[in-house]
Amino acid sequence: MAGILVWAEASNDGIRKAAREAAGVGVKLAEKLNAPLAAVMCADKPDLAAKLGRLGFSKVYAAAGESFSRYSSEAFSAAIAEAGDRLKADIYLLGATALGRDLAARLAARLDAGLATDVTEIQWDSSPLTVVRPVYSGKLLAVTELTAERKVISLRPNVFPAPAEQERSAEVEAISLEDVRIRAQVQKAIQAAQGALDVTEAEIIVSGGRGVGGPEGFKVVEDLARALRGAVGASRAAVDSGWIPYKHQVGQTGKVVSPVLYIACGISGAIQHFAGMGSSKFIIAINTDKEAPIMGKADFSIVGDLFKVVPILKEELGKAMKQ
Amino acid sequence: MKIAVIFKQVPDTEAVIKPDPAKPGAIGEGDIKFVLNPYDEYAVEEALRIVEKSPGEAVGFCIGPERSEAAIRTVLAMGLQRAVWICEPAAVNADVISQGRILAAAIKGFAPDIILCGREVIDTQEDALAAAAAHFLDMPHVLNAAKITIAGDKATVVREVEGASLEIEAQLPAAISCSKGLNEPRYPTLIAIKRAKTKEIKRVTLAELGVQLGPVKSRVAALKSPPPRPKGVRVEGEPAVVAGKGVEWLAATAKVI
Repeated sequence: MAGILVWAEASNDGIRKAAREAAGVGVKLAEKLNAPLAAVMCADKPDLAAKLGRLGFSKVYAAAGESFSRYSSEAFSAAIAEAGDRLKADIYLLGATALGRDLAARLAARLDAGLATDVTEIQWDSSPLTVVRPVYSGKLLAVTELTAERKVISLRPNVFPAPAEQERSAEVEAISLEDVRIRAQVQKAIQAAQGALDVTEAEIIVSGGRGVGGPEGFKVVEDLARALRGAVGASRAAVDSGWIPYKHQVGQTGKVVSPVLYIACGISGAIQHFAGMGSSKFIIAINTDKEAPIMGKADFSIVGDLFKVVPILKEELGKAMKQ
Repeated sequence: MKIAVIFKQVPDTEAVIKPDPAKPGAIGEGDIKFVLNPYDEYAVEEALRIVEKSPGEAVGFCIGPERSEAAIRTVLAMGLQRAVWICEPAAVNADVISQGRILAAAIKGFAPDIILCGREVIDTQEDALAAAAAHFLDMPHVLNAAKITIAGDKATVVREVEGASLEIEAQLPAAISCSKGLNEPRYPTLIAIKRAKTKEIKRVTLAELGVQLGPVKSRVAALKSPPPRPKGVRVEGEPAVVAGKGVEWLAATAKVI
């Protein structure tokens, strides 16, 4: 059986959560298919590679050197393809983070593979390997058979569990690429303000819509998000009105999110917004209009003025979170 | 400069999408309004702005079935000079990597400085097209551009990732996918819509492009609706009372706090 290779995306402080989740999927698939499993790391962090044993890998390919100090799809996909050749891999797993999706695209083209992005479910005993991914921003789910010999799969963050860590170290094999051409590379990264969590990574999102009334109105939304250590989301109406930057937009033309808790403040919940957050585990809606579509879909809906209700929620939940 | 814009026609964001009971893996297209993929509007606009500054040609490339003509007329009305259209079912139904290969073959002769497309198509939610086309044309790619600055033979692109914005420098020619926020797409004027009717739309076949598709790489076996959400609880009344009930529900039912 050909092997399974997992991209271990590194962050400033270790292995990214989405990559650990991909490791969990890799471990389970390797068991089911009785296939060899390895991780590949593209980062100038040799000590981190050995630590991947804890996630269940006995083998790690580590591409290190100047070419890997900053992201480029060309060098990273070349390193993964090289590791895949050595492992004789036919399944490549990545977390569907921003860079994971970028890399999956280039890698799949390079390998002429079957590509499935943002996968939310794997049919473990299927043949050919079958995965489920949201389409039409979650209005439907596509049950997709990957019939190609080589398959590249990116996994939606926050969906699959990370493996339980164990005391184990991995054998690290270096990959050095001499003549990789890099024609597009990250030059610099400007970090967002400290504590500002991205909606795609947050377990709790507090979102504001038209009912927030203006940029000042977002303050109550932000206050609640901060008290819950969550991220701030927004509807298209709020973004298009210029009240908050686009990176906060949740919906079919924004980000698709699956947090544990989504609190919609003054959002009507148009079909295109619901498409972006309908897979949240729990939804709370606060709206003066009891007929708003979101009120019929939320697990808990509060008919009321968000400017009165949300500050009280913040106080009470803030207290509860501290306990 | 020469800019190739890849675009697609998709269902409107407000459309209710249902599987077609007669065709596994397909949607019922009956009542759906189709539009130009919203992200592709940013790509078209960016292409027009680039050729307004550095004269050249901005040409559209589309894979799509017969109904796609409306979207092609839209991009021509916005200002693209002409369009190339591949509408064979084999191309329309191909996986995203194969579509990248087909578009690369269609774009190759035009030898663009930049290929632009939307960051994602909102129907199948594929976001790999720019990277795939770039790979088959041996170019670099950058996805999800929020800002593009061109100087000489380099493009500097700003894109968002989780918790940071990245500045990426790409050697031209390159393929770049475009995000919302990149620009404010124009609305075509009536005159432009009229003029678009006389612009060239060239249909090409896979045979003419010399593309032979290999075995099918992936196949949508079925489309299913997401599980319905359970019926929720509703509260109404004094802010302090309803907020209190909300906190109670979070602790007891959702167990979030």
